[in-house]
Amino acid sequence: MQDYHNFIAEILIDEQSIQTRIKELGEEISRDYKTKNLLLICILRGGIVFLVDLMRHITVPTQLDFMAVSSYGAGARQSGGSVRLSLDLKTDIRNKDVLLVEDIVDSGNTIAYVLEFLQTRQPRSLKVCTLLDKEERRETPVPIHYRGFSIPNKFVFGYGLDLDEYYRNLPFIAVVDLKKYQPPA
Amino acid sequence: MQDYREFIDEVLVDEKTIANRVAELGEQISHDYADQELLVVCLLRGGLTFTADLTRHFTIPHTLDCMSLSSYGVGNYASSGNVRVNLDLMTNIEGLNVLLVEDIVDSGRTLAHVLQMLKTREPKSLKVCVLLDKKYRREVPVEVDYVGFDVPDRYVFGYGIDVDEHYRHLPFIASADMKKLKKAP
Repeated sequence: MQDYHNFIAEILIDEQSIQTRIKELGEEISRDYKTKNLLLICILRGGIVFLVDLMRHITVPTQLDFMAVSSYGAGARQSGGSVRLSLDLKTDIRNKDVLLVEDIVDSGNTIAYVLEFLQTRQPRSLKVCTLLDKEERRETPVPIHYRGFSIPNKFVFGYGLDLDEYYRNLPFIAVVDLKKYQPPA
Repeated sequence: MQDYREFIDEVLVDEKTIANRVAELGEQISHDYADQELLVVCLLRGGLTFTADLTRHFTIPHTLDCMSLSSYGVGNYASSGNVRVNLDLMTNIEGLNVLLVEDIVDSGRTLAHVLQMLKTREPKSLKVCVLLDKKYRREVPVEVDYVGFDVPDRYVFGYGIDVDEHYRHLPFIASADMKKLKKAP
């Protein structure tokens, strides 16, 4: 595997800024859900690191559940529309206050589909918390209630976001210099 | 939801001790797999927090995948030992170094079963890292390669481990006084 120092263009958000912002988000969510019945839903796998850190700052009673989705058709990044649910929720979300936790909202196609699908199960409320929002790429409108950072349309990695499945464990979010990056064999 | 302070028996492992031990394990695993690549398999849902924190300390190239399992039969304790795979790996593990990361090993039945299943896929190596080892409950011999802490045979929660899906966010590992729990898990 290539050392990321060889292809990193810049650090977009450093470790300290991420952690400070997550603490703020956790406090905001704790205030907003004080009298509610919060269920956090993590969409695997990118959202894991963000979720684990966010959860530590949420002081209201919280349940946790997971979903795994994949797209029909070729290439996860070229998602056309239909989404395949590889892992459904264990929890019945009817009358629950559901907060979907995502690492990044890009085209918005997948998350819009997931929201529509979850809405049919009649939760009491359904909101979205994303660490990163790449608004420029949006194809389907998505209501975002909690946003860590708005970012430009650049190829990012680190802090849960992978590059060909690697580098998820880096504590910062960085931009890839695609001219220098060599995908693993 | 009941306040955990009403039923907590004692804090078995505090936040600082967990963080130090997780860092040590991360360093040890990085050392053991030096110059090799590793696929980290997180067993949902309990293993999530541990996996996220452990991999932050990895200095080796690694990828991440998740599995979700449940037992057939009524309740966790009346299990036949057969395991149902709710979410299988996305990765083909043939020829890979695989490290299974789990929150707790108890009877060892689930773990033994999943190890047996994964071995049929012919990984290059297959090891296990658990945060907590409840050795006294072991019914099936299982080789655990990395252990965070040995814990006594008590009902534990916190740091990813739930009581009825709650309290996973607590930064420490505590034991519950079952008599004070309003709804026994």
